[in-house]
Amino acid sequence: MTPASVSPQAVLDRSDELRRGLDGSFRDSMVASLYARAGELAGRSVREHGAGKWDFDQRIDRILTSRWLGLPVMLLLLGAVFWVTILGANVPSQMLANAFFAVEAAAATWFESMGAPWWLTGLVWHGTFRGLAWVVSVMLPPMAIFFPVFTILEDLGYLPRVAFNLDWLFRKAGAHGKQALTMAMGFGCNAAGVTSTRIIDSPRERLLAIVTNNFVPCNGRFPTLIMLAVIFVAAAFPPAVAAFAAAAAVVAVVLLGVCFTLGVSWALSRSLLSGEASAFTLEMPPYRRPSILRILYTSLIDRTIFVLGRAMLTAAPAGALIWILANVQAGGTTLAERSISLLEPLGTAIGLDGVILLAYVIAIPANEIVVPTMLMCYLGGAMMMDITTYEQIREVLVGQHGWTLLTAVNLMLFSLLHNPCATTILTIWKETRSARWTALGALMPLGLAFLVCFATAQAVRLLPL
Amino acid sequence: MSALSIAVAAGLLVVILAVPRFGLLARWKRHRAYRAKSRSEDALKHILAWQHRSKLASLESLAGTMGLRPAAVLRVVAGLQTAGWVDSGAGGIALTASGERRALEVVRAHRLWERHLSDDANMPMAKLHPAAERAEHSLSRQQVAELDAHLGHPQHDPHGDPIPRPDGTISALDAVSLNEWPVGRPALIAHLEDEPQAVFRQILLAKLRPMQVVRVTESGPNHLAIEVDGRQHRIERSTAANIHVREIRPQDALPSARTRLADLAQGACGEVAGLSPDCQGLSRRRLLDLGLTPGAHVEVALENTFGDPRAFRVRGTTVALRRQQAEQVLIRPFPSSGGAEVAP
Repeated sequence: MTPASVSPQAVLDRSDELRRGLDGSFRDSMVASLYARAGELAGRSVREHGAGKWDFDQRIDRILTSRWLGLPVMLLLLGAVFWVTILGANVPSQMLANAFFAVEAAAATWFESMGAPWWLTGLVWHGTFRGLAWVVSVMLPPMAIFFPVFTILEDLGYLPRVAFNLDWLFRKAGAHGKQALTMAMGFGCNAAGVTSTRIIDSPRERLLAIVTNNFVPCNGRFPTLIMLAVIFVAAAFPPAVAAFAAAAAVVAVVLLGVCFTLGVSWALSRSLLSGEASAFTLEMPPYRRPSILRILYTSLIDRTIFVLGRAMLTAAPAGALIWILANVQAGGTTLAERSISLLEPLGTAIGLDGVILLAYVIAIPANEIVVPTMLMCYLGGAMMMDITTYEQIREVLVGQHGWTLLTAVNLMLFSLLHNPCATTILTIWKETRSARWTALGALMPLGLAFLVCFATAQAVRLLPL
Repeated sequence: MSALSIAVAAGLLVVILAVPRFGLLARWKRHRAYRAKSRSEDALKHILAWQHRSKLASLESLAGTMGLRPAAVLRVVAGLQTAGWVDSGAGGIALTASGERRALEVVRAHRLWERHLSDDANMPMAKLHPAAERAEHSLSRQQVAELDAHLGHPQHDPHGDPIPRPDGTISALDAVSLNEWPVGRPALIAHLEDEPQAVFRQILLAKLRPMQVVRVTESGPNHLAIEVDGRQHRIERSTAANIHVREIRPQDALPSARTRLADLAQGACGEVAGLSPDCQGLSRRRLLDLGLTPGAHVEVALENTFGDPRAFRVRGTTVALRRQQAEQVLIRPFPSSGGAEVAP
């Protein structure tokens, strides 16, 4: 028989016919024979020296995933990461801010001496450059500390143990335990977190992980949380424990985010995404010695520079926009004042104010610029060089603009819950290819943020405190 | 000014109504077309089901099953006749050859979708049928073929019903009702009828699944006492009529052990005997790929705060499984390791 005499269709038909004769267990036999062959090869060529490494891993795992210590150790590690970040980032932030504002002042004077028109000086130095300066000085130090420390935990192989510890909660919420891993990625960047949901096979549970990833505060939102924790929480404690208190406050916000993730997952898996928890299998890799050079490379180049670059790209035009809003007048008032007074009633109703909402509108492209935008709006044309320490920021917010504890708490809540940034929304669309899920992923958190902040504000105002 | 706003409002209204694809008119047309399609396909399925019971369907039986007014049923049947799918005679309504093929295509889409929901999405048995009733009308031929290939060309749906082949043939169900099976002789559950829903819920309450071994221990006038997986149940004879069983064959390759990995105590070891037969599709492949093949050694390694999931040591790696997955792995415990702990 020559090959030409067999048509492709005949081969397909024959294979169809043979397939019908197979019982279902042929797949099992195939995998079993593959493992048998692999085992035989390994037995011939791999020699084991005792069980030392495995015993050591096992002993660590017994602590990190133990019945009583597993969850407390997890919280302590998370708290330690924030504590180190808060403690380490304060001084470099101030130094950077001082340096940048000295440059701004010198450059603006130089521009004026060269005879540049006032609007050019304003737009370039007091707008664009100032926006960049704020983003770099507020974000770079915490990121340069947080990312490497977090990457160490990742590199050690600790994150799968977190997923293992928390899976029971996710199962009760109808979600997948690997969602804990995607949330850990979300600490760095929610867009990266959304992409990482590809590790979840079941489409239903993957969608849950995608639309709730936003409830993990990303690195762009940590500066807001850290600033509020330092100004409002740490200030209420003696200096010796202030940093601990601030770290505890940030951990509390993160835990609240986890609660919202579980709650929203629970509600969605009983409504729009109804269904049962799917099969869950998770490999727990052996612990590894982290390689410091690689950690520094991935966390500083891949993450810090990437996130900072994106923030700077949006901060520069946002800075220019704020300068224009603050300096272009229509009918006697500036555009900034007009939009702030437009947003003021809504802001007041949810315990915030018009400036904060304006900052969030301007910060849709990237959450990183919320704090800089807010400060630039509050300060208007005032001299920026004086505002570099947290105490001075506190003086501006509480002293001059009537912030209360309610404002701080609601800003933390709003920052935790509000809509994801434009990049994340775009990523949700790329991952789901569905306008509906993208809309849900963007609008559900926003609605929830307004609802929760409104409820908190009304409750506080009604209660005789 | 007001004329302008009226014009703008009218323009907006026209846009909302008439935009192609998204306009209300287009949506309404799509909805009508989908409803007509799903009604005629449901009617075909009903006529096919009656033919399998050697009966002819009638306008009354159609109206009863589909919950439609007689006028609507007449319209549906007239449509089927125009398409050449049915012949309406004095004795009732019969499928033509092309009509039977079309009906089997719908059944094929339904059963493949059930397989997919069960294997890939882990949907519980009780929810499969209603979900597939909706999906069967919107799957194209191309999608059905892709689904079939993705699922590995399964031969039965999760209830044990044979899936019609693409060429329009279907294997007969080679099984008898549990009522007719002799007392004391082990049988394999081949099929569970999912309609009516109330009876099916009774079957699921007894935790019966296709490919399980069942033994009738006692036969009464109105009930049967049965033993499945070491558990005893009493079921009504009317329920047993919806359970179909057959002889156990050697090629069924049923695992010989009864202890489940989920029942092993902390620190205990054992050898994998096989995977439970009702674990199919993606979850079965996943467990096999992790190395849980017959003969593999397993040790219970870790337990977390909530006691679920637990991590197991298999083939030199540590793997976490939820209780539901660990229940699908059958184990021969090693006696030295303390053996099995009886599940609560």
